[in-house]
Amino acid sequence: MGGLIQVDPTNLMIEKTLFTLSCLIYLLAAVGYTVNVFGKKEWGGFAANTLRVALLVHTGFLVMRAVNVSRVPFVGHYEFGNLFIWATVLVYVWTEWRLKDKYHAVGAFLMPVVVAYIAYLTVIPALFARITVSSAHNPLPPVLQSFWLKFHVSSSVMGYAGFSLAFATALMWLARTGLESRPDLLKASPFINKLAVSLPRQKTLEEYMYRASVFGFLFQTVMIITGAIWADASWGRYWGWDPKEMWSLITWFVFAVYLHARFTRGWHGKRTVMLVMVGWVTMMFTWLGVAWLLSGIHSFG
Amino acid sequence: MVRENTGLPGQPDAPESPLRQILKFLSSMQLGIILLLLLAAISVYATTKEMNVAIGSIYTSWWFVGIMAFTALNLFLCTVERAGPIWRQVFKPSRAVTVEAIKRMPSHRAIKVSRVGSDPLEAAAGALAVGGLRVSTQEGPDGTVVFGEAGRFGHFGSLITHISILLILLGAMYGALTGFETRGGGYAGESFNVPEGRFQAAISKVTMEYMPEGPQVRPRVISEVTVTRDGRVIKQGKIAINEPLRFEGISIYHSTFLWVPHLTITNPDTGRTEGPVKLYDHDRYFYRDRELYIHTLAFFPDFTMNHQGMPTSRSYATNRPVLAYQVVYPGGTKEPWGLLELNKPLTVETKNGPLELTMVGFENAAVYSISRNLGRPWLFTGSVLLILGLYMSFFLFPRQVYAAFDAKSTSYLVGGRSRNKLGLEQLMDRIEEEIRKRKGE
Repeated sequence: MGGLIQVDPTNLMIEKTLFTLSCLIYLLAAVGYTVNVFGKKEWGGFAANTLRVALLVHTGFLVMRAVNVSRVPFVGHYEFGNLFIWATVLVYVWTEWRLKDKYHAVGAFLMPVVVAYIAYLTVIPALFARITVSSAHNPLPPVLQSFWLKFHVSSSVMGYAGFSLAFATALMWLARTGLESRPDLLKASPFINKLAVSLPRQKTLEEYMYRASVFGFLFQTVMIITGAIWADASWGRYWGWDPKEMWSLITWFVFAVYLHARFTRGWHGKRTVMLVMVGWVTMMFTWLGVAWLLSGIHSFG
Repeated sequence: MVRENTGLPGQPDAPESPLRQILKFLSSMQLGIILLLLLAAISVYATTKEMNVAIGSIYTSWWFVGIMAFTALNLFLCTVERAGPIWRQVFKPSRAVTVEAIKRMPSHRAIKVSRVGSDPLEAAAGALAVGGLRVSTQEGPDGTVVFGEAGRFGHFGSLITHISILLILLGAMYGALTGFETRGGGYAGESFNVPEGRFQAAISKVTMEYMPEGPQVRPRVISEVTVTRDGRVIKQGKIAINEPLRFEGISIYHSTFLWVPHLTITNPDTGRTEGPVKLYDHDRYFYRDRELYIHTLAFFPDFTMNHQGMPTSRSYATNRPVLAYQVVYPGGTKEPWGLLELNKPLTVETKNGPLELTMVGFENAAVYSISRNLGRPWLFTGSVLLILGLYMSFFLFPRQVYAAFDAKSTSYLVGGRSRNKLGLEQLMDRIEEEIRKRKGE
């Protein structure tokens, strides 16, 4: 974990431990939610509490990271990825708390997505030499020393969190619809039948997907606006047609189409689910694809 | 525009005028969705191209700008068309509806009660008020209807959102038409002209500040600039990254910094010395005595050699300043590149005779981007309105609930509409519970 900032070894150890611990507890919560969705209802509460503990530990990690880098831990794939995971779980925990245990099933679909994000920070760089996610402690380059950094990155992770939640709900919708179309399978396997019973109705899922998309869309808008204001102060223009800017806008377009189609054209069902999934793919491309496949001025992102 | 219908039975509606049909198409959401998807698809393709190529051949092309303009037109017409109905929805909602209309509402229920009482609608009005609705009663075609509403200004959300996007687009257009973008800069003591803005900027100081983490981190360069027009000072101030100097809608931004070595060139045969001359990277200085150019390649403040044997800098600290240079003849032929250390004269053998180079000093220069954007206030206003509009659209859920009492079946008919379907169901539950409570059920 070398870097230009000298970190106290004890602090470094605490930071690493909190990160590892939070990853493990997230994994445990994912298992809990999965067991719950397959009929073991008593696991729902356990998974929810485990996730809350994981969120607390992860918050501790972010605080420790902030202490160790002496700034907000918002820069680079490692810090952004952690913040994004934290925000996704925070939004889900808040939703779960608001909607009570009715929606534990969502956790079974969201947590694998979260685990995949964690894998990007941990396992994937170990498997693929081309992908490097540095956890080095580096100071902020002058261009990022701006008042707008906090707002731009915070709104970005909240937007991504909303879209991740919408994506998880879209997956649930597909699962529920797929299972409904296979009554033979439901009869043959009580295990699968329990899964089908655990999943909320399509209408409820669509409503949930819509709410999560709206949340993400609002923050995505704030992210684009704060980014434009910052770019104006930093580079002298609001919009530079940089690939990262463009992919953020593409994601915004896709969700704008989804919201309009739902609102005014009355779209529902598979078409809206597919739009949300495309929106999530464009969001992921904005985060990862642009960084690894395209070049631009967001080299620090 | 109202479609003409004579009202005679069996007669089909008169067709809309072609102009109306065109307007309807141009303002349609269908077109809006197609245009958004088209913009998204083109943008995806454009990002596969090199950024400058995409800017030159796609983003600034007539057809891309045309699609954007078409989207703006669609948005404008859509906004105009919806303004009236939204206004009526907010300020003149239809309070009197039929029982059938209540039954057709997205959420409706019949609440049967055993005790009617003298004024059954009083309980409904009370229940709607408990649900946080503003209540009024109205005589409808089927009798008295209790009407309750909340969050009505949420209807303005989409209108404000659309207006804000139009403002942003107009601001960007106005900024592009009335503005300019150029570059300038220099070292302390230099000045540069910006004819587009009719001003001159003189740089009085350029300083480098190292980060607390040390000189390995890219430092912050701060310059002090005085802007004058016709000899009159119009602005004076500091420029650093993220801290532009702004005046009259013009901004001077710190873009990057350069090293400027100071060089003296001596003819060993005559002892004549030129300089010190201040040269930027890739500058060429013509040395008349030997009919050749001194070409500066790069400056290394903390010189070292990397594993490939190429010069590099360990940090931004000026621990060992070295200049990489090359002698270039007028025909284009070049001598091998060489390295020049600070205050260490170096005799260079050339085809035209020897010369002595000395780097006697160095300093920093600041490079600026200069732009004028008069559309900035529009863009700011549009941005604020966009967030407000989206918030109103998605979080101020307008709710309308109607309640009527059917004396025959001793049932309350309650119907409601809202974009927030889950919220509406919860509200309907609450109203039902309250009615039952008030009726002692």
